[in-house]
Amino acid sequence: MKILFALSLLLALGSASAADVRLPDLSGVTDKGFTIEIYSELSPLSINTMHSWHIRVLDRDDQILELEELNVFGGMPEHDHGLPTQPQVTRRLDNGDYLLEGVRFHMQGHWELQIEFQYAGVDDTAIIDFDLQ
Amino acid sequence: MKKDLLLPLFASIALIFAVGWNYLSIPGVPDWSEEELRLIASLSLDSLPPLPLDPSNLVAEDPAAAEFGHRLYFDTRLSSNAQVACATCHKPELMFTDGLALAVGVGIGPMHTPSLVGLAYSPWFYWDGRKDSQWAQALAPLEAKHEQATDRVQLLRLISNDAVYRGMYEEVFGALSLPAMLPESGSPDGDAQQQASWNALEPETQTDISRFFANLGKAIAAFERKILPGRSRFDDYATAVVAGSDEDNTLNNSEKSGLKLFIGKGQCVTCHNGPLFTNHEFHNTGVLAVGRQMPSMGRYDGVRISQEDSFNCLGEFSDAAAEECTELRFARDANDLVGALKTPTLRNISVTAPYMHGGQMTDLAQVVNHYNKPPSSMLSHNEAKPLGLRTVEKIQLVDFLKTLSAPLAIEQKWLVAPDY
Repeated sequence: MKILFALSLLLALGSASAADVRLPDLSGVTDKGFTIEIYSELSPLSINTMHSWHIRVLDRDDQILELEELNVFGGMPEHDHGLPTQPQVTRRLDNGDYLLEGVRFHMQGHWELQIEFQYAGVDDTAIIDFDLQ
Repeated sequence: MKKDLLLPLFASIALIFAVGWNYLSIPGVPDWSEEELRLIASLSLDSLPPLPLDPSNLVAEDPAAAEFGHRLYFDTRLSSNAQVACATCHKPELMFTDGLALAVGVGIGPMHTPSLVGLAYSPWFYWDGRKDSQWAQALAPLEAKHEQATDRVQLLRLISNDAVYRGMYEEVFGALSLPAMLPESGSPDGDAQQQASWNALEPETQTDISRFFANLGKAIAAFERKILPGRSRFDDYATAVVAGSDEDNTLNNSEKSGLKLFIGKGQCVTCHNGPLFTNHEFHNTGVLAVGRQMPSMGRYDGVRISQEDSFNCLGEFSDAAAEECTELRFARDANDLVGALKTPTLRNISVTAPYMHGGQMTDLAQVVNHYNKPPSSMLSHNEAKPLGLRTVEKIQLVDFLKTLSAPLAIEQKWLVAPDY
């Protein structure tokens, strides 16, 4: 199942309690109905800067999942090429997020990411696409 | 009207329409949208960030290293025939290119000489990105047979026997020690004789000599980092329109129309983005192979070469910690990189002809025609799509490209050879 993207800006508006809540820069839903949230260290996303992402995978009860494997691929279908780098998950962070290093985009336009992971021995995938300025 | 006049009449109208469609410009100055203004600002030198540090080169910002590197850069003694220096191909007066289709050093090289202007911002070097730092790049021509064709042992002899050079080296890198038995020449990448001499050396001696060699590259890179672009007419125009001035005449109407095409219908900004007009990345745009050569495998080979390079960011001669080598650690190796070559800067493009990786195109009109009707690629696929530019639009695009030239933002003393 292909789920369209949600590209969100970091919102730091509103009440003090709301200020502590950061919305993901990208999010999507997997084939099996889990939620993927991406928090970028470069926010808003832009081209030509190497940076890292924190990736969180949540079950239907919004509980963070511990994965066996997580890989990210992507590219620009319009131009028939992939990402300029091969980002890799290098470690799991204390809050349960996965640190994805080596992210960089080199062109403005429509990008499509494929997030693949394995949870409880089962493969799952989400497609997240977005327009980058 | 007589029937025999109808055909000539219709033919004349069709001809007038065809000529008008191709050559008549839509009157009026471009009215910039918010998105267009954002793109114009992104291309301006006002948006150029400070030059990032090179963690793999601890002397990159050292003035003494730059002085030493500047001297090395112009010295033809750093070649087998004492006639070729870095400056032989990367001529300051030609924006650090050579005006030739293919580079000519001791021999004729396989590729066109790219400009060095602003190159210190790039994470990758060479048309296929086979080097991951400016200092590692600077080493390769010294030993390449078609470029300077010397080697690291000969260079050690030269520097250690020249009192000025020895002093400059030791000021930056410390005492220069020579092994007791030093052959006349030697390199692991040389011919059979050079390799035999090299292999006869103790491993510790080999490492010491390669470290000395790497230091030469780091000094040259300290100089080359200073080669930065100056403000062009485009930059002045961008500053004015982004500030809200709609009366700025820094660019004429044809140039402004060309700018609109560059960031719109022409799709140039897709790859030639940012204030250096390059994304520093690799694309297959269907440029024909260089004559009498097989088509270049491009980045597909380049990424592997960079990963195996003993002078890369993760190697023993790099000053960087492994975690600082993000470009190399996360370099992508995939089939869609076959035939992909580096996007060159368009800064000073009007004075750096000929164009493309083999200098296959002699003028900018040819380049624009190529992208207007991109051919099938000889290897893999061409990423570029037909643009449908009219003749007048192609002229406007070229007119805009000519606004990107300007004197470099560098002290004059760096652009000429020092007194030897």
